[in-house]
Amino acid sequence: MAAESAKEFEALEAQATTLLDLFRRAGYEQVAPSIIQPADIFLDQIGEAIRSRTYVFTDLAGDELCLRPDLTVPVSRLYLERHPNADQPARYCYNGPAFRFRPQGDDQAHPREFRQAGIECFGEADTESADVEIVLLAVEAVRRAGLKDFRLRFGDIALFYALLDALALPERWRLKLRHHFWRPPVFHALLARLAKGERPNGDGPASALAASLTGLTTERAEELVGAYLDTEGLPLSGNRSLSEITARLLDHAADLRAEPLPREVATVIDYYLAVSASPKEAVERIAMIAKGAGIDLGGALSANTRRFERLAKSGVALGQAVFATEFGRSLEYYSGLVFQIEVAGLDEAIGGGGRYDGLLSYLGAPSAVPAIGSAIHTERLLAAVGRGG
Amino acid sequence: MASKLLIAVPSKGRLKDQTAALFERAGLALRNTGHERGYRGTLDGLGGVEVVYTSAAEIVHELKSGRVHLGVTGEDLIRETLADVDGSVEFLKPLGFGSADVVVAVPDCWIDVARMADLEDVAAQFAGVHGRRLRVATKYMNLTRRFFAGHGVAGYRIVESVGATEATPSAGTAELIVDITTTGTTLRANHLKVLEDGLILRSQAHLFASRAAPWRASTSKLRAAILAKLS
Repeated sequence: MAAESAKEFEALEAQATTLLDLFRRAGYEQVAPSIIQPADIFLDQIGEAIRSRTYVFTDLAGDELCLRPDLTVPVSRLYLERHPNADQPARYCYNGPAFRFRPQGDDQAHPREFRQAGIECFGEADTESADVEIVLLAVEAVRRAGLKDFRLRFGDIALFYALLDALALPERWRLKLRHHFWRPPVFHALLARLAKGERPNGDGPASALAASLTGLTTERAEELVGAYLDTEGLPLSGNRSLSEITARLLDHAADLRAEPLPREVATVIDYYLAVSASPKEAVERIAMIAKGAGIDLGGALSANTRRFERLAKSGVALGQAVFATEFGRSLEYYSGLVFQIEVAGLDEAIGGGGRYDGLLSYLGAPSAVPAIGSAIHTERLLAAVGRGG
Repeated sequence: MASKLLIAVPSKGRLKDQTAALFERAGLALRNTGHERGYRGTLDGLGGVEVVYTSAAEIVHELKSGRVHLGVTGEDLIRETLADVDGSVEFLKPLGFGSADVVVAVPDCWIDVARMADLEDVAAQFAGVHGRRLRVATKYMNLTRRFFAGHGVAGYRIVESVGATEATPSAGTAELIVDITTTGTTLRANHLKVLEDGLILRSQAHLFASRAAPWRASTSKLRAAILAKLS
């Protein structure tokens, strides 16, 4: 148990009351989604970092279940249960346990069972205002709990996507770079390959076959690949179809023909991902990088300028804050603003959150639902406040 | 009892037979003792040693907790089960049997896939077409996770499989597998191919020493004696 002593339990309960009072008064309805969640839908959407630390088990009926490692997905599922058409805005708050396996053992800073207090905002069309609302509320929450000295770290996935969109590169490479954003070492290796003029897929044994597909229609290419499989005695089996295999060979054929990625384009991406500074400075530097590259990041950059202005006006001290373009690469469902609340001397954040506009359609919503939330690690918050934070 | 050296050896299958043959050749034949039929034994010609017969998987736990001093089991099981391998056991001697490669294998009709890097691309494509992640059938969940993470492959899910893993892709319950292979015959029979850089571990049986066991002068001496005979 996270709270082993009665005293600590009472302190956590008092803190939870403070947080939930604030959230409810801000218009967030308190909910308590199930602790036990279906493993499938859950694990498919969460990144590897947390997936590998989720407690998964099979019950007596043979269903694969998990102890929720996080509350965002359970609250999102609850929203869809109440609003299957996802056609109404809703604001929820919660305080409850979450569970994560700790490879180095269970300790105070990394308990395997901990309580998350948080807020989630669904369906708010004015996304800029919702972003500001969530950050303000999260900051106000840790302040009310007694935390004085902390700093904010920001990132923005949408800004990175805007950068890729604005740069001249083949769509399949753009998709590949987007996909690998979440794994920096792979990302940088891929970028280096492309910049050196190498093909992302190298020259595997199927290169010759791929080259022979150049310029063919999809149907004709599939026929050829099917004939090749027959000749080689490789029967199609499993769930991947002939058209999926052919599609990748056609991509490969296009790669073989493509001009290498201009070195300047790779440099722009590298420069962009190296930006880490105060929000004001970071936004200026990104604007300079864009200007130097002759590209327009459009609304994605000005949205950041406005967001930081609004936060500053509302009394959030951004002097110590950091905007880091690489930040936010751990939870794959994030799609826009990401932020966390950090305390000196603690390697993990007190709380954090972000925008996840793609998650609800993955979970079954009939259309995309703008969504953003934030969660606070309550044991860490209590410890930081106790240390005079 | 406290001063005795406890050595765990596999209680069934080829590993049991090969271990018995090895100790016999070294002049330390295994002898079953007592009424508990087959669960305890001694070593011929070396007093102060008690042999514990148990499963290869259980031997890993016995070594980790220090309930036995020495144990014979597969490196694959050690690396799969122990979070801190070097802090838990010492590799005393590779034994030259129980060889098996832990590999990543995909259907051989995936001619667009040759290496681990391809797998992440396929994962992205598969998620787009089928709306779910690639499934990897294996009993080596930890080895798989570490190896895939090291290659930057993340778009997959593990489905635990405890038997006939190699049949899961054609049965449609997984897209690819991580399994052991010795000659590759079973993989080929199931129309699977090993990825070029898909060798996770070249495993064989080892003699391991537990770091958690209560080592004393007497048990350390017995350990040296066994090791000398086996060499």
